[in-house]
Amino acid sequence: MQDGLKVLARLFGVLARITLYISGTCLILMTAVVAAQVFMRYVIGSSIVWSEPLAVQFMGWFILLGAAVGTREGYHLSFDVLLMFLPQGVVRFLHSVSDLVVGAFGAGMFWFGLELARRTWSSKMPTLGLPDGTNFLPLVLGGLLVVLFSGERLLRRAAGMQTARFGEDMVED
Amino acid sequence: MELYILFGTFVFLLLIGTPVAFCLGISSFATVLYMGLPPLVVFQRLNSGISVFALMAIPFFIYAGDLMVRGDIARRLVALAGALVGHLRGGLGQVNILASVMFGGISGSAAADASAVGGIMVPQMKAKGYAADYAVNITVTSSIIAIMLPPSHNMIIYSISAGGRLSIADLFTAGIIPGFMLAIALMIVAWFVARERGYPTEPFPGMRMIGALLVSAIPGLILIGIIFGGVRSGVFTASESSNIAVIYALLVTVFVYRSLPWKEFVAATLGAVRTTAMVLLVIGCAAAFGWLLAYFKVPTSIVAFMQTVSDNPILILLMINIALLLLGTFMDMAPLIVIVTPIFLPIAQAFGVDPVHFGVIMVLNLGIGLCTPPVGAVLFVGCAVGRIPIWEAVRTIWPFYFASLVVLLLVTYIPALSLWLPSLFK
Amino acid sequence: ACEVTLRSADTHPDGYPTIEAVKYMGELIQERTDGRICIEVFHSAQLGEERDTIEQTRFGVIDMTRVSMGPFNNLIEETKVVSLPYIFRSVAHMNTVMDGPIGEQILAAFEPHDLIGLAYYDAGARSFYNSQRPITSLADLKDMKVRVMQSDIFVDMMDALGASATPLPYGEVYSSIQTGVIDGAENNPPSFESSGHFEVAKYYTLDEHLIVPEALVMSKTSFDKLSAEDQEIVRQAAKESVPHMRALWAEREKASTEKVLAAGAEIITDIDKTPFIEAMVPVYEKHVTTDVLRDLVERIQATE
Ligand code: NA
Ligand code: NA
Repeated sequence: MQDGLKVLARLFGVLARITLYISGTCLILMTAVVAAQVFMRYVIGSSIVWSEPLAVQFMGWFILLGAAVGTREGYHLSFDVLLMFLPQGVVRFLHSVSDLVVGAFGAGMFWFGLELARRTWSSKMPTLGLPDGTNFLPLVLGGLLVVLFSGERLLRRAAGMQTARFGEDMVED
Repeated sequence: MELYILFGTFVFLLLIGTPVAFCLGISSFATVLYMGLPPLVVFQRLNSGISVFALMAIPFFIYAGDLMVRGDIARRLVALAGALVGHLRGGLGQVNILASVMFGGISGSAAADASAVGGIMVPQMKAKGYAADYAVNITVTSSIIAIMLPPSHNMIIYSISAGGRLSIADLFTAGIIPGFMLAIALMIVAWFVARERGYPTEPFPGMRMIGALLVSAIPGLILIGIIFGGVRSGVFTASESSNIAVIYALLVTVFVYRSLPWKEFVAATLGAVRTTAMVLLVIGCAAAFGWLLAYFKVPTSIVAFMQTVSDNPILILLMINIALLLLGTFMDMAPLIVIVTPIFLPIAQAFGVDPVHFGVIMVLNLGIGLCTPPVGAVLFVGCAVGRIPIWEAVRTIWPFYFASLVVLLLVTYIPALSLWLPSLFK
Repeated sequence: ACEVTLRSADTHPDGYPTIEAVKYMGELIQERTDGRICIEVFHSAQLGEERDTIEQTRFGVIDMTRVSMGPFNNLIEETKVVSLPYIFRSVAHMNTVMDGPIGEQILAAFEPHDLIGLAYYDAGARSFYNSQRPITSLADLKDMKVRVMQSDIFVDMMDALGASATPLPYGEVYSSIQTGVIDGAENNPPSFESSGHFEVAKYYTLDEHLIVPEALVMSKTSFDKLSAEDQEIVRQAAKESVPHMRALWAEREKASTEKVLAAGAEIITDIDKTPFIEAMVPVYEKHVTTDVLRDLVERIQATE
């Protein structure tokens, strides 16, 4: 089982890497948009009217994509106090329960994000002109990735492979 | 019943080790499903909670912090702090605190401070024989200094939550004296604990060495001047100053220190993405959680209860402080400020408390909340940096909590500590 | 005691005229339904900003919300007409129009979007204020940096008037005027006062470029759950809350005006609005693009 899973894990590793790079690019673009706004306002003396909503768009993307990768790499804050006193098997079971509900939440992000996007698509954002629904697209894609990465964690744990938790480094297979 | 589901699910998930952001999100999701409300609202709140332009200060300051760490600015500030106070009892602990004062003048985020200063100091402290819990305790509590000293995005969020009327420059200035008081209080505690545990001191490097280190840290110190001067004079809005911090950090590390190779730049960017995504997902999910609290009128009930208990301003402020401390242990800072400011501020003002003063009280109070379990973002960052479990840090952190609480009481009952400095700029 | 509690959202602080009006409406309803139906008002944006509470009301998460027309502009075509600069000659003109068939037509336009339009509230007239000079002509406004809300119409309006539109968060307006990053902003007299902007921008020109009513809307889902009789009680109570709201608003406007005058602000009324109105031709050309809107504009202008 581990061999097949390792191929899958490598694929997910590549997916996570790409997602993280897109996320980083969005952070850089957000910085550039706001820097351009500062430059225009203070050096040129006129304002870019759409810089603020555009920067907020980039923020949504890098947070939710970055957060999805966080479920895989285990860098979200978590709290392991109770688990110290429990036997290993129970801890593994509870961690799986945790991954399962995180995956369910990811499914909610995906499904209801889609619903939110659909229901708000007909109105347009002021000055930027994009449909309001685009605000929710990071939620949709981020949610989908949370589902995939949580599923991978469940499989990895079942196969006895490492699932990184807060404060640990992810070991790529 | 709804509230039991909300808090019950939250606590259960927290205990089984579910990431905090998801504890907040899933418990809100579960409650809404139970009530038969459209679950859309949870995800709408999550999305709106992170789509706020003012919040952009958080990623920018964290990014600037990461660039400064990767590109040597932070290390030089820490080196300067080391030369200045390393020879005191508990040497590297004192350095850690002073470094937070310096770094806090650049960064507005306690989490950024804990990861930046902690990232440099904790490994050094461990190598020199300090216990990991001592290093983490200091790293965590001294990070509150970063949100008291300008720039502080929590002060910005408070100003906006108070209706946008309060001057951000005044709030920034008001935090300075309390920030330094906190630094001194923590240094005293660090001194006592170090003496008890018999920790070493560093040799005094001499004035020439201090001079050399000062020169090498100048670009970092200039950044403090740019940020504070820019906002104080009002030339830059607070959100713009955080962006300038990123650009400046980039320019200094690339052109002055020439210490930021492409690989390090990528690492800094991805590091900032990881930290920010983690912190802001907590804020987004807490916005959903906070929405449900407001929907159930929880904050309003707390206030109604408090008003029935007393009409003495000293007691009211004490009760507000206790309520904030309790709320602060369970929730994150930014959404709490957004939720409770419109409720607590009018009460405080009715008892004659200046809104700027109240902002300082609230930010310091909730800053302490960042260091307390179960929801303490900075505590988690500190433990991650120090690679120890949270309970190990919490077992010995009490003297540092005590020092912070003493400062909180002084700040609460002596308004001049907050209001004197801003009054000089009028 | 209440069988049904209607949750109503507002972004204004407690005590604001719109909030008092909805509370008053709640008292009327409670009285007329023998306490079966109550209203609970969530003030100070506790449940979210306007854009969020509109969505929540559409989804049936909350029951009612008081909102500006601006956020509807890109969703419901008819609402755009009231956001046009200088469309109303005065607040009295606006009230006449909105109390009549045109107002009814716009309220009805909410229904396909899962919202029931209940009533219009008054938000006064928005005018320019700045730190530089009294504005009495277009020349005075030329190249001034004026903060506006994020809205296409408002940005286009500033362009057409020759000023430089500067979108800024509301909270940063005060210090930005103080330090000269911008020259001024625009708002109604109570906000000019409560924001403290009069302390840094003393010239307030009553050009009344925007007279945009606010709306109280109800979720269609919640509305449909009520019996026909209760629906009528809700509609009627909403209508009756309007004069109450207008009286509170007038009081507030008067108090604000007195306060800013006492603080040394200058209110400029001596202004010929004709060139300002003429400058709006390209704005109307760009935004009044459909027969529905053209018809509404004509009928509003024809209303005495
Ligand atoms: Na700071
Ligand atoms: Na520190």
